[in-house]
Amino acid sequence: MAAFLRSKCSPVGRTLMGSLGNSLFGAANSSVGAITRPSHCDAISQQIRTFIQMRTNLKVVDNSGAKRVMCIQSLRGKKGARLGDMIIGSVKEAQPRGKVKKGDVVYGVVVRAAMKKGRSDGSEVQFDDNAVVLVNKKGELIGTRVFGPVPHELRKKKHLKILALAEHIV
Amino acid sequence: MQCLVRNVCRAGSRGAAARLLELAAAGPGATQPSVAVKLLRPPYEFTRPIGVVQPVRVQSRAVSRDGLVPAAATSGFGLCAQVIVAMRGLSTVGSAAEVASDSDDSTSPAVEHPPRIKFKRPDKTARHIMNILNKEAVEKVRSEREIPDVQPGCIIQMRLQVPENKRRESTLKGIVIGRRNAGINTTFRLRRLVAGVGVESVFPLYSPNIKEIKVLDRKKVRRAKLYYLRDRMNALRK
Repeated sequence: MAAFLRSKCSPVGRTLMGSLGNSLFGAANSSVGAITRPSHCDAISQQIRTFIQMRTNLKVVDNSGAKRVMCIQSLRGKKGARLGDMIIGSVKEAQPRGKVKKGDVVYGVVVRAAMKKGRSDGSEVQFDDNAVVLVNKKGELIGTRVFGPVPHELRKKKHLKILALAEHIV
Repeated sequence: MQCLVRNVCRAGSRGAAARLLELAAAGPGATQPSVAVKLLRPPYEFTRPIGVVQPVRVQSRAVSRDGLVPAAATSGFGLCAQVIVAMRGLSTVGSAAEVASDSDDSTSPAVEHPPRIKFKRPDKTARHIMNILNKEAVEKVRSEREIPDVQPGCIIQMRLQVPENKRRESTLKGIVIGRRNAGINTTFRLRRLVAGVGVESVFPLYSPNIKEIKVLDRKKVRRAKLYYLRDRMNALRK
């Protein structure tokens, strides 16, 4: 077990990814930041890449006050929700003085999904996490900011406000 | 009798079956019972006596459209039908003595078979054609623009035109963690960090939407698929 944890903590991936940062030309500072920051030591199991269904926990990426939402109903299809679909969820974690509180039943739009989604030009996209933006029944945003990347498929789904507020569109 | 002919054909002596058909097609005067028995004898040990082959004359009742000439006389199909019906009319009646008399001569003459026409399987032919078309398409794309050798471990920067996003060009930079070779449908998997979130994209290598691919760095890797970077990239978050 100790050997397994040691292998997880080893900086093999760090050397391989050293020159890869968020900005195109900020290779040096990103690699320095990677070395100074402590590594992620606990044994991570990879994200299960399937539909967002009942009891799936999603990260909330807006400033509505919720931190984590558990899906209790998918509003699209039999199997579950995918990128751009709407879900009903229950707030599991919330910030102290937010617009929503723990236990509230809320609607949300899936803006990032670990399951891959094909595009019309033959490419595919998949994210590392499942994330949601909280909306009301009419589809209007509860928060005023959206953090992290969102896919441009939301344009087809008529969620233009989310695209307008997003930091990055992929 | 038809069953016997089928068995002879199955056994491999095609010449014997052909001669038997000739005997059946010939007139009643040309019948030679011993020859027929001799032809059918070698492959099998018949317990039942086989005797005189008596062909039955078949009168063709088919008439052509104008009603003057019988259809069997004009068409090859009619002749074929006559032979088949005559073959059905063959009877195997005779004494065991005839069979015993020819038991010593069991050698049938060697028959030269015509060379078999070897038909290629259509799926193999189609696959071959598709391979040729694939190569031509790849060469055409390579002549139009320069495509570098993208391998797992390469850190690349590419300009991509997104048709759904108002044809805007976006620049992506990431590490190639996998490649799937399939001719013109060859794809590679690009992994990058966007605002601290890992994003994996699969792009066709010969896609017309990819305007430029630039290899910035090549890391030494010993794997074809670098999926372990999904866990190790957490250290790179800003």
